[in-house]
Amino acid sequence: MAETPHILVVDDERGIREGCRRIFEAEGFRVEVAVDGQEGLAKVEAGAFDLLLVDLMMPVMGGLELMERVHALAPEIVMIVITGFATIETAVDAMKRGAYDYVPKPFTPDQLLAVVNRGLEKRRLSLQTAQLLAERDRRLLEVAGERSKLRTIVNSMADGVLVTNRDRQIALWNPASVRMLDLGDAIQAGRPVSEAVPQAALLEVMARALAPESAQFTTLSQEIETGGSDRRTLMANVSVIRDENAEALGVVSILRDITQQKEIDRLKSQFVNMVAHELRAPLGAIAGYLSAYLSSAAGNDPAFNRQMLERSLQRTQALTELVNDLLHVAKLESRSFVRRKERLDVAPLARATLELFKSQAAGRRLTIEEHIPEGLPRIEADRSEIELLLTNLIANAVKYNVEGGKIAVGLKAEGPTLVIRIADTGIGIASEDLPHLFEEFFRVQRSETQYITGTGLGLAIVRRIVEANFGRIAVDSRLNEGTAFTISFPIQEDH
Amino acid sequence: MPKKTKILLVDNDVDFINLNRAVLENNGYEVAAAFSAREGLDKLRVEMPDLIVLDLMMEKHDSGFAFSKSAKADPAFKRIPILLLTAVGQATGTEFSQNEDGYWMRTDDYAAKPIMPEELLKRIRALLERARQEGE
Repeated sequence: MAETPHILVVDDERGIREGCRRIFEAEGFRVEVAVDGQEGLAKVEAGAFDLLLVDLMMPVMGGLELMERVHALAPEIVMIVITGFATIETAVDAMKRGAYDYVPKPFTPDQLLAVVNRGLEKRRLSLQTAQLLAERDRRLLEVAGERSKLRTIVNSMADGVLVTNRDRQIALWNPASVRMLDLGDAIQAGRPVSEAVPQAALLEVMARALAPESAQFTTLSQEIETGGSDRRTLMANVSVIRDENAEALGVVSILRDITQQKEIDRLKSQFVNMVAHELRAPLGAIAGYLSAYLSSAAGNDPAFNRQMLERSLQRTQALTELVNDLLHVAKLESRSFVRRKERLDVAPLARATLELFKSQAAGRRLTIEEHIPEGLPRIEADRSEIELLLTNLIANAVKYNVEGGKIAVGLKAEGPTLVIRIADTGIGIASEDLPHLFEEFFRVQRSETQYITGTGLGLAIVRRIVEANFGRIAVDSRLNEGTAFTISFPIQEDH
Repeated sequence: MPKKTKILLVDNDVDFINLNRAVLENNGYEVAAAFSAREGLDKLRVEMPDLIVLDLMMEKHDSGFAFSKSAKADPAFKRIPILLLTAVGQATGTEFSQNEDGYWMRTDDYAAKPIMPEELLKRIRALLERARQEGE
């Protein structure tokens, strides 16, 4: 309601209209008048009134009809009836149509003002109530909205959430925590957490967080094995919830499944262990030779002394190769490494790589067969990686061959793929060794391979390169007859 | 002239065999060599050595244990002292210790790898002396 009450007087008697106007204006109210119901209704429709003073008997649209229509139009307007024949009957009729009170004619200014002021007070109060109600409704909506928002967020989290009160009863949880801890139907609000959660380690850390000596803002972190059929490792971060007086209200546990990270960590440590082992063997051999050379522990035969130094040098070179291969592996693994794929013609690359091994092959009296036709389709691949792949495979074909053996390098288009075949007539691979061939540091241990140096990473690198360039690799080998590697890459059509 | 003391070296590292064969021969021992546990067991029968120097990690990570288990189970070889060479302690960060009950512990002494020729000689001499005293 505006500061100044706004009143409409509807009466066909001019004297009443003007009398009321004077009385109300003296009170500081804003007043408008209308001569009949029709004019009154028009004014109500046009302006905002707090109170209507209506004469029941009017020529065009009577007071009862006007009140009925105003009530339908603006029920908040307080209506007071002026009636010349103050009977119970008309009063009841008026009240039914929404009148708040009535003033019998004739009336004194005081009588009128008493009734009107009551009406205005009523108007003020009902406006206030409406305002409060609206506010309450809005707040309730907000609160309900916030709750359901939070609930939705917590339920959608990939991390498990489990909240207990200070009496260690379950207060809140989400589906992820039920799944991770395998709680099933055991979870219920108000249930002691120790009855619902089977993981003793989690209960223990919750208890530790709630212990009175626990520092105020600590989060306790604990790895938890879930147990059960599907063994998983969870990282639980448990924090105490405190009110503004630092009183503990309960604990919130956030659970994250770290099974995969643990497995990656394990594989990494395993790899580091293998690398350490691979580094120690040649270092031990070199140190042994040098130590024996200096102390003459093996005697002073100049030929043997020279041999010890030569072997030390060879093992040093092998170590360098190992370090290079380790760097290749790291590069192939690294996510930041940008593969520079291009439409690549493998033929000249294969010829050039083969050329590099010609003198080495000649030293072992190996025959090289080259089946590399012109005009082969291109593939999409990283040049340096394909170069490394060819180098590793041809090097193996030379190293694991027999004196006077044969190496065949062939390229051909076969359907949608380009096929690279590198075959040798060497010592071959036993069938039990084949499944391990592409594993890091796997080396075939046979009397024939003892003097062949290698890092055990060559084929592991080949496998990674094949995978990174969407190819396939197959190996066909017979013991003492030879080995053939067949690699195929998808052909890249001309655009 | 008394028969030379014979040492069987079982190790898959060519250079370990090459070097220590020379060192041991230079110090008056006779040397036989095998590059795997399997070959070692074959050589054991043929050579009947006085002492075995055994590498732990060969074809498999515990090939040396398999070898010592077989050798110690056979009455013909169980008195032959075995010196086990291992880098296990360093690799795993744990102390390698001998234990009476474990089959793989059934060696007579062990040394950390890599081992320098002089140290190996010292360990072989000590182990041979111990075996000689126990045999008397």
